[in-house]
Amino acid sequence: MAEDLAGGVAGAAASVDPDGPDGVRMTWNAWPRSKVEASKCVIPVAASIAPIRASPSLLVLPYAPLRCKPPCAAVLNPFARVDFAAKIWICPLCFSRNHFPPHYAAISETNVPGELYPQCTTVEYAPPPIDAAAAAIPPPVFLFVLDTCLIEEELGFVKSAMRRAIGLLPDHALVGLVTFGTQVYLYELGFSDLSKIYVFRGTKEISKEQILDQLGLSAAGLRPGTAGASGYPKARLQANGLLPSGSVNRFLLPASDCEYALNALLDELQTDQWPVEAGNRALRCTGVALSVAAGLLGACIPGTGARIIALVGGPCTEGPGMIVSKDLSEPVRSHKDLDKDAASHFHKAVKFYDNLAKQLVNQGHVLDLFASALDQVGVAEMKVVVERTGGLVVLAESFGHSVFKDSFKRIFEDGEQSLGLSFNGTLEINCSKDIKIQGVIGPCTSLEKKGALCADTIIGQGNTTSWRMCGLDRSTCLTAFFDISPSERSSQPGSTNPQLYIQFLTNYQNPEGQMRLRVTTVTRRWVDGSANTEELVEGFDQETAAVVLARYISLKMEMEEEFDATRWLDRSLIRLCSRFGDYRKDDPASFTLHPNFSIFPQFMFNLRRSQFVQVFNNSPDETAYFRMLLNRESVTNSVVMIQPSLLSYSFNSPPAPALLDVASISADRILLLDTYFSVVIFHGMTIAQWRNMGYQNQPEHQAFAQLLQAPQDDAQMIIRDRFPVPRLVICDQHGSQARFLLAKLNPSATYNSAHEVAPGSDIIFTDDVSLQVFYEHLQRLAVQS
Amino acid sequence: MASSQPFSSVPPRPRPGFSLSPNPTPSSTADALQNLQIGRVPPPSAAPSAAAGPFSSPASRPGPPPPAATLSRPGPPPFASGHPTTSGLPTTSASITSNGPPAFGLGAPRFPPPPPAVQQPPPMGAPASIRAPPQALVSRPFPGSSPSVALPSSQPFMGPPPSSQPYMNPLPSSQPFMGPPSSRPFAGPPSSQPFAGPPSSQPFGAPPSSQPFGAPPSSRPSGGPPSSQTSGGPPSSQPFVGPPSSQPFAGRPSSQPFMGTTTPFRGTLASSSPFGTPSWQLQTQQGAPPMPGTMQAPPRMFGMPPHMPGQPMAPVPPVTGHSPLAGHQVSTPSKIDPNQIPRPVPNTSVVLFETRQGNQANIPPPATSDFIVKDNGNCSPRLMRCTMNQIPCTGDLLSTSSMPLALMIQPFALPHPSEEPIQVVDFGESGPLRCSRCKGYINPFMRFVDQGRHFICNLCGFTNETPRDYYCNLGPDGRRHDADERPELCGGTVEFVATKEYMVRDPMPAVFFFIIDVSMNAIQTGATAAACTAINQALVDLPEGPRTLVGIATFDSSIHFYNIKQASQQPLMLIVPDVQDVYTPLHTDLIVQLSECRQNLEQLLDSIPNMFENNRVADSAFGAAIKAAFLAMKPTGGKLLVFQSVLPSIGIGSLSSREAEGRTNVSSGDKEAHKLLQPADKTLKTMAIEFAEYQVCVDIFLTTQTFVDIASISVVPRTTGGQVYYYYPFSVLSDPAKLYNDLRWNISRPQGFEAVMRVRCSQGLQVQEYSGNFCKRIPSDIDLPAIDCDKTIMVTFKHDDKFQEGSECAFQCALLYTTVYGQRRIRIINLSLPCTSMLSNLFRSADLDTQFTCFLKQAANGIPASPLFQVREQTTNLCINILHSYRKFCATVSSSGQLILPEALKLLPLYTLALVKSIGLRNDGWLDDRSYWVSRSASLSILLAVPLVYPRMISIHDLASKEDDGSLLSATIPLSSEHINDDGIYLLENGEDGLFYVGNMVNPDTLQQLFGVSSVDGVPTQLVLQQFDNDLSKKLIDVVNETRRQRCSYLRLRLCRKGDPSALFFLSYMVEDKTPGGLSYVEFLVHVHRQIQTKMA
Repeated sequence: MAEDLAGGVAGAAASVDPDGPDGVRMTWNAWPRSKVEASKCVIPVAASIAPIRASPSLLVLPYAPLRCKPPCAAVLNPFARVDFAAKIWICPLCFSRNHFPPHYAAISETNVPGELYPQCTTVEYAPPPIDAAAAAIPPPVFLFVLDTCLIEEELGFVKSAMRRAIGLLPDHALVGLVTFGTQVYLYELGFSDLSKIYVFRGTKEISKEQILDQLGLSAAGLRPGTAGASGYPKARLQANGLLPSGSVNRFLLPASDCEYALNALLDELQTDQWPVEAGNRALRCTGVALSVAAGLLGACIPGTGARIIALVGGPCTEGPGMIVSKDLSEPVRSHKDLDKDAASHFHKAVKFYDNLAKQLVNQGHVLDLFASALDQVGVAEMKVVVERTGGLVVLAESFGHSVFKDSFKRIFEDGEQSLGLSFNGTLEINCSKDIKIQGVIGPCTSLEKKGALCADTIIGQGNTTSWRMCGLDRSTCLTAFFDISPSERSSQPGSTNPQLYIQFLTNYQNPEGQMRLRVTTVTRRWVDGSANTEELVEGFDQETAAVVLARYISLKMEMEEEFDATRWLDRSLIRLCSRFGDYRKDDPASFTLHPNFSIFPQFMFNLRRSQFVQVFNNSPDETAYFRMLLNRESVTNSVVMIQPSLLSYSFNSPPAPALLDVASISADRILLLDTYFSVVIFHGMTIAQWRNMGYQNQPEHQAFAQLLQAPQDDAQMIIRDRFPVPRLVICDQHGSQARFLLAKLNPSATYNSAHEVAPGSDIIFTDDVSLQVFYEHLQRLAVQS
Repeated sequence: MASSQPFSSVPPRPRPGFSLSPNPTPSSTADALQNLQIGRVPPPSAAPSAAAGPFSSPASRPGPPPPAATLSRPGPPPFASGHPTTSGLPTTSASITSNGPPAFGLGAPRFPPPPPAVQQPPPMGAPASIRAPPQALVSRPFPGSSPSVALPSSQPFMGPPPSSQPYMNPLPSSQPFMGPPSSRPFAGPPSSQPFAGPPSSQPFGAPPSSQPFGAPPSSRPSGGPPSSQTSGGPPSSQPFVGPPSSQPFAGRPSSQPFMGTTTPFRGTLASSSPFGTPSWQLQTQQGAPPMPGTMQAPPRMFGMPPHMPGQPMAPVPPVTGHSPLAGHQVSTPSKIDPNQIPRPVPNTSVVLFETRQGNQANIPPPATSDFIVKDNGNCSPRLMRCTMNQIPCTGDLLSTSSMPLALMIQPFALPHPSEEPIQVVDFGESGPLRCSRCKGYINPFMRFVDQGRHFICNLCGFTNETPRDYYCNLGPDGRRHDADERPELCGGTVEFVATKEYMVRDPMPAVFFFIIDVSMNAIQTGATAAACTAINQALVDLPEGPRTLVGIATFDSSIHFYNIKQASQQPLMLIVPDVQDVYTPLHTDLIVQLSECRQNLEQLLDSIPNMFENNRVADSAFGAAIKAAFLAMKPTGGKLLVFQSVLPSIGIGSLSSREAEGRTNVSSGDKEAHKLLQPADKTLKTMAIEFAEYQVCVDIFLTTQTFVDIASISVVPRTTGGQVYYYYPFSVLSDPAKLYNDLRWNISRPQGFEAVMRVRCSQGLQVQEYSGNFCKRIPSDIDLPAIDCDKTIMVTFKHDDKFQEGSECAFQCALLYTTVYGQRRIRIINLSLPCTSMLSNLFRSADLDTQFTCFLKQAANGIPASPLFQVREQTTNLCINILHSYRKFCATVSSSGQLILPEALKLLPLYTLALVKSIGLRNDGWLDDRSYWVSRSASLSILLAVPLVYPRMISIHDLASKEDDGSLLSATIPLSSEHINDDGIYLLENGEDGLFYVGNMVNPDTLQQLFGVSSVDGVPTQLVLQQFDNDLSKKLIDVVNETRRQRCSYLRLRLCRKGDPSALFFLSYMVEDKTPGGLSYVEFLVHVHRQIQTKMA
C-alpha cells in the first residue's frame, strides 16, 4: 500500500512528514554565502512554509512571547544564547543582548521555558486576552452569495448544497444571504414580517459608501478603524466585543435563528426571472454582488473574520467585473486573446477585483469562490481577490458534481475532516542580516511594511516583511524568496557565524476564534566560497526546487509579457546540470547527477508539459485555478501537480509505483493516477473485460474483486484528505476517458515509434518528445563547453 | 337589465353599452355612484362624548355672551359698510344685537318680529332661550360666569339629556375649539364684572362708539355698527371681550383653523374606523333619492325654457337678444336693486333636448341644468359643447365679439340614464369609413351625391368614392335610404370597433399599481393606514377578469416593491435603495393578475401600517418611487395611483420647501411670486413625458398636513391624463371616507386607456390649442394614457378662412382608446353648427357655461405664468370686452347710462367676479391651495367649473319645511353674507368641499337633529355626518347624497361655526360681498359699466 512506496510522493498524509516539525522546506538547505554564488546556483533560494500546519507535537504556551528589542523584535527561541546567571539572552538574528523580564526570574539551566527547548523550534503562544472585549470569541460568519442565472437543475443542486451547509453550521455562526442574477438581492434576514430584500442593479458600480447609505448602515456601520490597516486591531476589538448591533442583526443572523427563514427562502428561490434574449448570455452581475457582500461585511463586522462564499455558475456579463458581453457571438477570452491583448474586458475586470481585494483585505474578510460551469466564469479575473484574501477556490463542471458538492461540504465540517479555517493571519519574517526578503508567492497580501530586510528585487508580494492572510488553513503554504546580500564586513571569512537564522511569526485567529501566535525559527548553514559545491549539493531539495520553480515560472508567465517559459526552464536546467553535474566536457555519455538532483530533470520534463507551462491546452480560468492551488498547496501536493504519481495494480505483484510512461499501460493491470486535480483509475483491457463479465461477483474470483477494489480504496483515501476534492475518473483502456491518463504519460511510444509495441500496451498520438529524448538533449547541452 | 330601474334608484347610471363593452360596467358604475353617498358612520370616539351631554360643554355653548355679538361681526362688516342699501334685512342686525343684551333683561324688546324678507320661520328656539336668562339669573349658582352659560331654561330645547352637570363638568380637553373660549367664563370678566349689577352694568356692553343698546335696530346699518369692528380690536375696552382668544379672525389665513382642529382627534380615530365597509352598504340604501321628476313629469322640450320666453329656436328671433336688467339704470350705484341683479336660477325640471331639429342645430340647455338628450345628428352637449352655438363666418367677426371660440370635450361624460346608449359600429376588417384626404370619419354630415356613389367630406370638402360594400341609394330627400339604420349616419356620437390598423400592439390590460408613502409623517398622521384601507376596500371594484393586473409598492427614503404572487408562500419585499438612479427589482411578479393575488394583497395591505409602525425615516422619495413603479409598468402601461403625504425630499425629482421662500416673497410683493406656482424644475416633467409615452397614467392622492409643492408634483398627473386629489389638512377622522370614495370612483368610473385624440373641423377653422391633462408629442394629436368620465379637454380654434353664411361648420373629435376590458375603440363625436355673419346671433347663441369654463381654464393657465394682478385684470377685461362689444354693436337701447347685458351672458359679470375672488386668483391664497386649484381647473368639466368659483349654497335648518319633490337643492341662496342668518345652518358646496355653516343662534333642537349635538362648539370642523332618526337629518343626508351624485365627488365636509376661525373660510366664498381685496357684486357691475362707458367714449 501507499506507506510502502518509495519516493514519498504518493501518500503525504500517511508517510513520514517530509516537511518536518516546522513545516518549512527550502530549495537549498545550505546557503551560498555570496550573491555571485547564489546566482550560480540557478535555483533561487526560497522557503516553502506552511504557517499553521497541524502538528501533533506542537507546544502551546499560555503566555505572551518575549521579544528582542526593536527593530529586530524577534521572539525568544531555542537558538538564542542564554546566560542563565546574568538572566540575559542573545538574539541569534541580530545578536542583541536582552535581559529577561522579572517573571522569567526563575529561569535556570534546569528550568527553561518551553520556547527554549531545543526541539521546539516551532511553538505557539496563546496569550490570555487583554480585556473582556478581546476575550469574547467572535462567531464564524458566512455570507453566501448565490448565482441564480442557472438552469433549474443546477439551481436545485445549489439549493441542496446550501441546505446541507445550513444543517452543518454551528448554531452561533452568523449567516447572511445574497443572490444575484441580473440584479443583486440582499436578504434582510432579521426582518420578521415578511421576506425583505434589498435590490441593487447589476449594471452600476456602486461604492462602498453608497451601499452602506442605501442599506441604512452608514451611521452605525462605519468605524474609523476600517479606513486603513493601521486602525485595524482597534476595530477588531470593538467588533469582537460589541458588534454594532443594529446592522448586524438585520443582515447577519445566528444560524439557529434564521435556519427556518433561510430554508424557506431557498425553497422559494427561483432562477433569475429576467428574460434572456435568444443568442445572448444571461445577464449576470457577479461583480456588483461581490461588492455588495463586501460592503455589507465591512459595515457590519469590520475586522472580524468572515467569509463570503460565492457560488458562481457563469460569466459576469454586466456591470463591473464583467468578463464578456452578453452577446453569445463573442466567446469568452482565451489564452490567445490574453496573449494578444484582445480580451477587451480583462484588464478592467482585474482592476475592479483588485480594488475589491484591497477592500476585503482591509476589512479582514475572505472570498471563497465556487465556480461551476461548463464555460468559464471569470476565475482568471477573480483570482486576485481569492488569492489576496486567502480564500478557497473550487472549479467544477456542475453544482451537481462531487468536486463541488463534497468540497463545499468540507468547509462546514468539523473534526478530523475539518480544514481548520482560520482568519486574520499576519505573517512576519525575521532573518539574519545578510539575508534580504524578495517577496512571497501564495495566498497573502503585502502589508507594505518596509524595512532593512527587504530586497531590492521583488518577487510576488514583496517590499515588506509582513503579510496579511485574511483566510488561512492547515494546508496553506507560502513561498518566500530570499536574496543573499552580504555586507562587506560579514563577507570576510571566519569572522561570522556559520549558521543563518530565519524566524516566521504567524499571528492568526484559529478556528475556535482565539488569537494565536505561532513562531517558527529555523537555522541553516552558510557555505563559504565556490569550492564547496559538495555541501551545496548535499543541501539541495529537488522536490522543493521543482515546486518553487513552478511557482516562480507561473508568476513570471503572468507578469512578464512575451515570456518564453519552456526556453527559460530549459536553460535553467542546463545551467544547473552544468554546474552540479559530473561529466567530462563535451562527453554526454559521461554525464551523471548526484542523487539529490537525479529526478530534477524529470520534474522539469513534466513541468514543461504541465498545465502550468502549456497553458494553451486550458482556459484562462483553469490556468488560474491550477496556479492558485499550486501556490497554496504543500510541496508534496504541488509535486504531484507537476509530476503525477502512478500506481500499478496487478495479480502478480503488490501495488507498486509505476513509471509515468506509456509503457506502464498493460492489459492486465489497473493503474491509479493522481494528478492532484483528478484521480484516474485505469483498467487494462483484459481487466475491463473480466469486470464487464462480472467475474468479481463470483466467489471463486475473490482475488479479482480485491484487485478491482484496491485502487478504489486508495483513490478514496486520496480524495478524502484533499481539498478541493479531486475529480475521480474511472476508465478503461481505449475508452474515451483514458485521455486523462494518456495526457500525463511520457510518450515513450508514439505512432512514429520505430520499435514495436508490446502487446497490451499502448501508444500516444503525439509529437511531443519523450523523456528519453529530453535527457539525451540535456546531457549533450549540459556538457557543452 | 330593465332600463327603468337605474334611474328610479340611482339616476346617472351609465346605460348599457356605455362602458363600451358587451358586458358593461353599469352596475359597478352605479355602485360607485351610490357609494358617494354618506352612511351611518359609527360615531368617532370623540363624538359620543359631545353627544352624551350637550351640557357637558356649557362653557362653550355660551357662544353668545355679549362680546360674541361683536365676535361674529368680522364677517359682515366689510360688505356692510360699503353697502348700506342692504339694510333692508333687519333680521340680521336684530339677531346680532340680540345676542348680547338679553342677558341683562333687555331681551324682550330687542326682538322685533322677523321681517317677511326672511323666508324661514323665525327660529323660535333662539329668542326663547335667550330671553330666559333673566329668570335664570336668579337661580344662577355661579354669578361670575358669563350670562349665556346660565341657560337652564333652555334645557327643554335641548332635547333628551337634561344635563344636571352643567357647571361641574370640567371642560373636556378633547374639544378642540374649546381651548380659547373656555377660559372665558372663569377668567377676567366675572371678577371685574359681576353680574350683580344688571342694568347698571350696561355700559360695558356698549361698544366704544357708545351706541346704546336701546337704539332701535332699524336705525343701525344692516351690517352692524362699524364700531363693532373696532371693538374687536381693543379688548380692554370691553371687559367681556376680554380673552384675546375670542378674536379668532384676526388676520389668520383661513386655512389655519382647520389645521388646528385636526390634531386633537388624531388619537381617537384609528379604532373607530369611520368608514367601515358595512356602513357603506347601509348607506347605499338610505341614500338613494328618487330622481327628481324623472319620469313623473313629462320632460319639456328645451325650446321653451321658462326664463327665455322670447327665444324660441325660430330662425329669426323676434326679440333682440339682450335683456336690459330691470332697474339696471346703473348711472348711480345706489339705484341698483341688489335683489334684481342677475343670479343663477336653478332649473329644477328635466327637459328633453333634441340636438338637431329641422336640419338645424338646437341650442343646448345650460350645462348645469337637468336634461335628456336625443342625439339626432349632433352629439350630446355633455360630450362636446361649443362656446357659441353659431360659428362666426370670419375671424374678424369673432374678434369683434371678443368671445372665445372653443370646444369643451368630455368624451366619457356620464349620460342621463334615460338617454340612448352610444352605438357601437363594426366595419369589419376594413375599419371605419374615412375621408381619404383628411381622414375624417364618416358622420351624418357627409353628403352622399351621385346616387350615393360618392360622398363629400363635410370637413375638408373632398369628394370620395363610396366603397362598393357601403353603397346605398339615395332617397328623394338626398339622404341615403339606410341613413336612419346606420348609427354613424344618424347619430352625433358613435363608436367604431378599431381594427389592427389602429393598434401598435395588443390592447393593454387594465393595470393598477398602487404606491403608498410610508415615511414617518405618513404613518403618524394615519395617512398610510387610510390609504391601505381604502385600497383594500376598493379592490372589489376593480374590473373582474384576467385582464386586471395589480401591483403595489411603498416608499420612504427607499422604494419597497412586493412580490404578491400567490405561488410564493410569503410575500417578498424588494427594496430598491438607490433613489437617484432607480430600477425595477423584478422582471415579473410585481404586477400580477388580481385574481391570483387578491388574498396576498389584502393581507399585505392589512399589515403595511403595522410593518412600518415605527418607521423613523422622514424622507420621502416620491419621484424615485413613481419612476421605479413606472419601470415596472413600462411593458404594459396602466394606472399608477400614488398616495403621498409629505414633500418629496430625496431622490430624483426631490423638491425643496419653496413655501417659506414664497411667504417672504409675497409679503415683499415680489413680482416673481407666481414663479412658485411653476414646477420647480423640469425633472418631473421629463419623467411624465416618458410615462405618457409608455401609457402610464399617474393619479396622486395627497394626504398631507404640510406643504407638498403641488405646483411641481401636479405636472405628472397633468401630463399623463391623471388627476391630483388633495386632502389638506389630512384628518384621519373624516378624510378616509373621502379617500376611499375618491379611489373607488377613480378605478370604477367609465374610462379608457392608451388613448389618442384628435379634433378635426371644417375648412375655415383650425385647431389652435388643446388644453387639459394630456401629453402632446405631435401638434395634431394629444396622447392620453388614460381618459375618464371626469376629464374635459378644451380645444380652441382660430379662423384660417371664411365661411359662407348659411353653411355649417363641423367639428369632429375622434378618440382612439382601449376599454378596461381590452377592446380597442374609436369614439367619434360630431357637432355641426350654423355659421353666421351677424354679431347679434353670436351673442344670442353664446353658451355662458362653456365660455366661463374657458375663461376659468385660461385664467388657471395664466396663473403660473404671470403676476396675479395681471391675471385678474385679464379676466375682468375679457368680461368687459365682451359686454362692450355687445353694448357697442348690438344693444338697441341707446341710453348710455344703462348697463346692458346680453341675455345669454347675463351671469358673466357675476361669474367673473367670483373667478377673480376664487382661491386661485385671490391674493391671500396659500401656495398649495392655489396650485391645486390650478391643477384641478385644467381638466375640470363645465358642470363643475361654475360651482368651483360660484358654489351652491342652500339652507339646511329649514329643510324639513321644504317640499320633498327632489328640488331640495334648487333653493339656492345668493353667495352674500346678507343672506346668512345667525339662526340658520347652511350648506355650501363647490363640488369638492361641503361647508356647513352654523350660526350662533341656531336652535339647539335643530342641531340635535342634524348633528346629534345640541351645541356645535365641541364638534370638530372635520365633520363626519351621520343620519339620525328624524326627518331633518334624513333630508340632509338626501341633500348631501344628491350633491355627491351630481358632482361625482364625495364632498369633504367641514363645519364652520360663526364666531370661529372656520367661519372665515366659509365667508371667503361669499363672493358677492365686498372684501378687502375685492369689490362687491354691485360695485363690480358699476366698475364694469364704467369701463364700458370709458371704452365707448
